[in-house]
Amino acid sequence: MPEHAFMSPIEDSVPKVGEVAVGEDLNFQRRWWKFERAIWLFFLLILAADVLGLFGRGWLAKAQRTDAAQTVTLDYERIERASTPSIMTFHFEPAAIRNGRIELYVSEDLIKPLGAQRISPEPRESSMGDDGITYTFPATRTPAIAEIQLQPSFPGLHHFRVQVIGGQPIDATVFVVP
Amino acid sequence: MAPFTIFRALFGYLFLVLMVRIVGRRPGKQLTPFEFVLIFYLGGLTLTGMVGDEVSLSNAVCQILAVAVCHYSLAWLRFRSARVAKILDGVPLILLEYGQWRTDTLSRMRLQDDDVMDMARGQGLKDLSSIKTAVLESYGEISIIPVEEEGG
Repeated sequence: MPEHAFMSPIEDSVPKVGEVAVGEDLNFQRRWWKFERAIWLFFLLILAADVLGLFGRGWLAKAQRTDAAQTVTLDYERIERASTPSIMTFHFEPAAIRNGRIELYVSEDLIKPLGAQRISPEPRESSMGDDGITYTFPATRTPAIAEIQLQPSFPGLHHFRVQVIGGQPIDATVFVVP
Repeated sequence: MAPFTIFRALFGYLFLVLMVRIVGRRPGKQLTPFEFVLIFYLGGLTLTGMVGDEVSLSNAVCQILAVAVCHYSLAWLRFRSARVAKILDGVPLILLEYGQWRTDTLSRMRLQDDDVMDMARGQGLKDLSSIKTAVLESYGEISIIPVEEEGG
């Protein structure tokens, strides 16, 4: 019989169970079932963490900070989701109003990494400087509220600073999940 | 950012491979409507995260190439390593042997005697006693080996 370079004799390489070549590996399968049980538990933990807001948009994600001079209270999400809109709200106190206006400084980190899209109400004036933007709103009495819509582009830890001119700065950190 | 979109594509592919493997095999030669819903829904949800807001053709081409390279690499690993093949595909499991059910395997694979009989009927067998061995294959089909007739 001529020999061919790419041929080899048939061997019983598939393990038999009884008379049938099945290739069953119950030891592997039992380990896999254990792994499946663990991974289903892991999935449930992930879902529970999501419901609680560990990946943003939930109870654990919400944060509130007030500056030491009591001029502004900031509502924001300490955990944000990338490419997902959220709202940062500033509640101004009477001490924030000076000469019929409120001046709010936001650092550059809030503008770029955290993706500030628009601010409401429209500020009368915006001026750049000190690594950020200072917005000026006309205001006469409280309660007064301003909102900034955020849409972070990149995951990671981002620090930012906001301050009402005449008050104390608020330094905060936002973690953006992918 | 380009590396980020490639990473997203690879993560999406590997995550779906894991999910399909974990969700488990169901017996049958064709997908049931139930499985159609699962596959299309998982695919659609993964697509949202993979593409994000980058809808350019170059992004699509690069992500497809990344998935193709990842798929080829997994197929190569599967060919080179029996262990990887078992992890990716699973192993065949005996469900019925010489008139005895493997009850532990049946319950863990969420199968019933009806599922085995469905396949047996497809081979012209009238009842479960005509089956010598029933094997749940790694691709989800149940193979039936009938009892050999005396003198046959």
